[in-house]
Amino acid sequence: MALSTYIDAINSALREELARDEKVYIIGEDVGVMGGAFKATKGLIEEFGPDRVIDSPLAEGIIVSSSIGAALAGMRPVPEIQFVDFITPAMDAVTQQAAKLRYRSAGTQTCPLTLRVCYGGGVGGGLYHSQTNTTWFAHEPGLVVIAPSTPYDAKGMLKAAIRDDNPVIYFEHKKLYRSVKEEIPDEEYVADLYKAAIRRQGSDMTIVSYGYTQLLVNQAVEKMAANGFNPEVIDLRVLNPIDHETILSSVAKTNRLLIVQEDHRTLGIGSEISATVVEQAFDCLDAPIMRVTAPDVPAIPFSAPLEKFYMPSVEKIMATMEQLANY
Amino acid sequence: MLIACDTINSSLDKIMATKQKERPGSTPEQGKAADKSQPSTNGNPPIPAEKLKQIYATMLKCRTIEERIRVLFKQGRFGGNYYAAVGQEATEVGCAIDLRPTDTVAPSHRDFIANLIKGTPLNLMLSQIYARKTSPDQGRSSPAHCGYAPLNIITPASTIAAQLNIGTGVALALKMQKKDDIVIAFSGEGSTSLGFWHEAVNFAAVHQLPIVYVIQNNLWAESVNVKMQCIVDDLSLKGQSYGIPGITVDGNDAPAVYRVASEAIHRARTGGGPTIIECKTYRWYGHSEIDPAKYRDPAEVEYWKSKDPLPFMENYLKKHNLWSDDWKSQVLAEFQKELDGAIEFAEKAPWPEPEEALDHVYSFSIRERELNRKTWSPTNDSTDAN
Repeated sequence: MALSTYIDAINSALREELARDEKVYIIGEDVGVMGGAFKATKGLIEEFGPDRVIDSPLAEGIIVSSSIGAALAGMRPVPEIQFVDFITPAMDAVTQQAAKLRYRSAGTQTCPLTLRVCYGGGVGGGLYHSQTNTTWFAHEPGLVVIAPSTPYDAKGMLKAAIRDDNPVIYFEHKKLYRSVKEEIPDEEYVADLYKAAIRRQGSDMTIVSYGYTQLLVNQAVEKMAANGFNPEVIDLRVLNPIDHETILSSVAKTNRLLIVQEDHRTLGIGSEISATVVEQAFDCLDAPIMRVTAPDVPAIPFSAPLEKFYMPSVEKIMATMEQLANY
Repeated sequence: MLIACDTINSSLDKIMATKQKERPGSTPEQGKAADKSQPSTNGNPPIPAEKLKQIYATMLKCRTIEERIRVLFKQGRFGGNYYAAVGQEATEVGCAIDLRPTDTVAPSHRDFIANLIKGTPLNLMLSQIYARKTSPDQGRSSPAHCGYAPLNIITPASTIAAQLNIGTGVALALKMQKKDDIVIAFSGEGSTSLGFWHEAVNFAAVHQLPIVYVIQNNLWAESVNVKMQCIVDDLSLKGQSYGIPGITVDGNDAPAVYRVASEAIHRARTGGGPTIIECKTYRWYGHSEIDPAKYRDPAEVEYWKSKDPLPFMENYLKKHNLWSDDWKSQVLAEFQKELDGAIEFAEKAPWPEPEEALDHVYSFSIRERELNRKTWSPTNDSTDAN
């Protein structure tokens, strides 16, 4: 076991997969000689060469669409969008091609690619370097959307994604890159791509989150546990298709549900989870489902007080836990 | 010796002369002024007689199948819509006739006949028209959107220029895999207005990918004239912005298209990178079967019908003593029989089962999830729920 940051876990997964399978290659802006804007691909061009770690033109559309074509022709591309805020030129590629190619060809043409996207706020990135657009992609059947919250999962799920036969969008929060460390195995491992993880067993409420806000939930729960709270904590891990079974089973036990997401409120992951729980476990609920989300504003404002107001926080989660418990 | 038509010679002269200046590495033969007194093949060997006949026969089949599909639509025998390339057969056949099964075609909505050229079985093509279970996509895509994985024909999307981008990625893979297969990406002139188109061509140029971009400039993108798309006369000029060869050719002159395409395909196969070919042609009918195309001047339509690529090719064969009326009748009769059989096959073919709408979303099935949603109650524990 060795202590690893989230970003080192990503780097390590990429290195191992590049070494394991010559069909794997990386493409994106600044991923080569610069080693990535956040150094996720550091050292890889030196080790694997510019044909397998490709500095792309500044064109997100072709970063993704060329990966779709290459995947169709047998490669295992790992394209990167430096900030998910910049993915819009690739929306046709992602939503109309990657998500639909298997379907429209009745499974005869597929595109197993892993699109790494850097997301999230709380770093003073402003409107266009902070977005959490998970919902755009979670809304698209055909795509697998994952958002690991730990270094163990960052590595294991990335390796699983690269080996998976579906197009996967891998959301990595820039604030997790260097803020969390975890012992991860020295030997090779692959994590489950499609299951939510119960991070803490509990009995009085279920809290569901993913990505960076999972960290905030953990901190809030630690503090509230000292006050006698005993929540069950579910790390969603995969946002599409959602592992509803794990959530429903938990809510059947705890009878209360809190969802925490960094994406804004309307039609977010929390909306779908809420609807599903109401449809399939209505009788289990002792209280309204509650959510801590970003407000419905177009993007994360830059100025510090504005950003702080926007972001979910440990305090907001604790207050909502209190409210849910006392309902 | 065969005579390439004047249009291609003059176009080539113009384009290649410019290209010569910009790109000293271009093949010298292409830049030479054509000597009109001598039969010219632009420095290429003559097209073999059998190939010329094959080109005509294939164009005839393309015309026949599309005119028949149009009738079937008007008779209400299939639903949806159809986007006929009638009038454009020389561009499709000239470009795609020599492709290997392992070469990829990236078609648009108007390239249904690329399947015929590449060899998709007629029964499957007609099943696509009829949206039956027996179609290559088991009834998912609309009638004109026929792909076929065994022959590497990408199942088209409706978003314009998307196929170019995916095709470009296929070309990237082929280069990485050190294969000598190539990609032909078909598009209309309208697609060249999209950012996607430019991202793809630029990327292919940067990586010198084995791909040929064929712009079928049929003057109309649905109801919008090419003059409203772009102010350059020859869309192949766009190649210059990306540092790749761009050639404009009379898209109704099949031997000319064939020559240009063969050269571009050879270049792609041998590591010479991408080429843009603009085929100037004309869409005889509306954008689709429900478009009467009243926005066009009837005189323009008549003019282009007088440049019908089939009689042009017929005359070409006659000039080279390769024609007989009996041969044509035989080709036509055999194909019509085959087509009748395929229509009958498709009309009798089973529909997909309704629940098949749930299949092929992921590599795993979602049927159970969608069809059997469970209910949890407080008495359930997680074991019961499972």
